[in-house]
Amino acid sequence: MITNWAKAALLGLMTSTALVSVAEAGGVLSIGRREDSSTFDPIATAQNIDFWVFSNVFDVLVRVDKAGQELLPGLAESWEVSSDGLSYTFHLRPAKFSDGTAVTSEDAAYSLTRIRDSELSLWSDSYKIIKDIQTPDPQTLIVTLSGPSAPFLSTLAMPGASIVSKAAMEALGPEGFAEKPVGSGAFMLDEWLRGDRVKLKKNPEYWDAANVDLDGVEWRSIPDDNTRMLAVQAGELDAAIYVPFSRVAELQKDDNLAVVIDPSTREDHLLMNQEHAPLDNAKVREAIDYAIDKQAIIDTVTFGLGEVANSYIPKGALYHSDENGARPFDAEKAKALLEEAGTGPLSFDYVVNAGNEVDEQIAVLLQQQLGNVGITLNLQKIDPSQSWDMLINGEYDLSVMYWTNDILDPDQKTTFVLGHDVNMNYMTRYNNEEVKNLVAEARLEMDPAKREAIYADIQKLAKADVHWIDLYYSPYISVTRKGIENFGQNPLGRFFLEDTVKTY
Amino acid sequence: MIRTADLSLLPRWSRRFGRRPMLAAGIAILTGFVVMALAAGLIAPHDPIYQDAAARLQPPSLAHPFGTDNFGRDVFSRVIWGARIDLQIAIIGVIFPFLIGTVVGTVAGFFGGWVDALFMRIIDVVLAFPFLVLMLSIITILGPGLSSFYIAMALVGWVSYARLIRAQILVLKTQDFAVAAASLGFSRLRIMFGHLLPNALAGSLVFIMSDAVLVLLNGAAISYLGLGVQPPVAEWGVMVAEAQGFITQAWWITLFPGLAIVALAFGFSLTGDALADLMGIRE
Repeated sequence: MITNWAKAALLGLMTSTALVSVAEAGGVLSIGRREDSSTFDPIATAQNIDFWVFSNVFDVLVRVDKAGQELLPGLAESWEVSSDGLSYTFHLRPAKFSDGTAVTSEDAAYSLTRIRDSELSLWSDSYKIIKDIQTPDPQTLIVTLSGPSAPFLSTLAMPGASIVSKAAMEALGPEGFAEKPVGSGAFMLDEWLRGDRVKLKKNPEYWDAANVDLDGVEWRSIPDDNTRMLAVQAGELDAAIYVPFSRVAELQKDDNLAVVIDPSTREDHLLMNQEHAPLDNAKVREAIDYAIDKQAIIDTVTFGLGEVANSYIPKGALYHSDENGARPFDAEKAKALLEEAGTGPLSFDYVVNAGNEVDEQIAVLLQQQLGNVGITLNLQKIDPSQSWDMLINGEYDLSVMYWTNDILDPDQKTTFVLGHDVNMNYMTRYNNEEVKNLVAEARLEMDPAKREAIYADIQKLAKADVHWIDLYYSPYISVTRKGIENFGQNPLGRFFLEDTVKTY
Repeated sequence: MIRTADLSLLPRWSRRFGRRPMLAAGIAILTGFVVMALAAGLIAPHDPIYQDAAARLQPPSLAHPFGTDNFGRDVFSRVIWGARIDLQIAIIGVIFPFLIGTVVGTVAGFFGGWVDALFMRIIDVVLAFPFLVLMLSIITILGPGLSSFYIAMALVGWVSYARLIRAQILVLKTQDFAVAAASLGFSRLRIMFGHLLPNALAGSLVFIMSDAVLVLLNGAAISYLGLGVQPPVAEWGVMVAEAQGFITQAWWITLFPGLAIVALAFGFSLTGDALADLMGIRE
């Protein structure tokens, strides 16, 4: 008898849960990507693959909107800045971590102190400006800076500055936390099969949980591009990111699929090691710029999906300026400039990331284009782990790299690329004191109009010096099954999965 | 058991040649590729590295019998020019290991004792590492490029030949003709290289043919990893590797160089098999 009652009860329970799940929701969204996550400790990584999952699991004080244009409230419902620009007061919204404990200003203070001070942090430099953090009550956070900083607020939106649970971090330790994170995002980590997939489930404690439709998200790692695309075509995956340019036209023809093309901040550029003569001669660098047919690269490599880049600040991003003296393709002009420089026949070592389809194609194109003006490129295909070190050590003449912005404000990229930071201006060894001073000035200038003017000057001066050669901007490309709605990323790469709906 | 090969094989080879279609086919294929490589400039209709942006990813047609690749280069011409590089890889990649291995194997087998022990331990060390790992480390130290590949091949590949020859020499040196040569007072050098080695070579000659196939594939693998042939030079392995992203919409870029690799490998194996039969190595 008892067993029968138990069975009946169990059956009742099952039907009721089944009914509930049908009524409420939208199942699990599986997304294919190239690599698996490496950690869930927000401060210990600089990789997009990690950041993009952090945005699902953690929340930040301040968020960036879908268009990548402005800052929106995140865990901080509102904030005030003191008139001297030194003190920021944040009012936290009532929110809970996935373990049910409340998110307090104490947790926020702990997370910001951690990204500034921890030895594990890859981002300490960007947060050194924080002098002091006060927590007068659990919902109020006061951050004092050592000097005014225009980009400060946007650095709080970076996934690295995600708010973690202080109690969980202290209980588990950084290594334990990196595998079992406790955050306050729309989803929480369910299971992580390293190297294979990250399984997330809906976080019932999320402050806006009522508006989250999906029951869960599964980030699956499928390194081979062709296999990943086939998995979506076969219906094994709901979506896949990193769609190769060459596949877009074909996938668009498939009635079961939708190709999602979102503007990004990605810019591909040609680095020139300016410590190696004659690349120290601006005329030679200018000649190379004139010799490159950027539109041909876009047609061949991106299948027309990219756009010619004219500034290091991507088009559509804050303070991008078109009026900077970008050079058109002009092989004759290039030859004339080389003649003027009097260098004779030139030959450069060009470091290519082996196995990267896009990099290899650009290399072969540049080899022919520069060959037309009498410059020989010796291509060296190098494993990516090694090529990065070669660039840092200056063991290269030319190489193509790309950059995607992590924060809304141009200060971060500008500092890395032109501000004489620790990395020799992004490995180019470019050197212009005037530009360097302007970069510092722009960081302190709080008036947006004046800042815009300074950034316009910086772009003009850097372009005149040919600090590097801007090649093209390209979008983020994903593919989903028909019936997946609101899937996409903002220009900084954040996926808004809390809004995504699976209708089948 | 390995049978001693006849010293006066040559006249019989020519007699048997006509009755051996496998050998004839194998040699015909290899000759075909050699002619293709030597006359690449005459046969190929286009410049193998010329990029024609207007004619990208074109399917096979009369103007481009094998189609064009993602840069608008003619795949047919690239396959023809690729024969030069791939034959070079197969031949140079085999010759040096063969020469080194043969000398080491003969000396080790003949002298025995500590000489043998020393060489065998070196061989053990080389064999202890996975082949590709050792190749990659040597090439990484020397820098990417084909010459590094040949050096690495010579440094790693000789062990198979040395073991093969040594085993044969060990058997041969106790046979009557060797003992007779020694009792006649011939010098050690003469016995080693004049009497024993010619009889021990048959196995290695056959092995060369199958090894050439492996070297070809290794060359392709190393180039695939970016350590071998550098762009824009046409090499079949690189062509396959570079075009794999386009395999679903432009099958011709990978198919034809792939077929070329298969055909050349087939030529080598046919020849090798037929040689083995001819010299009675497998009975």
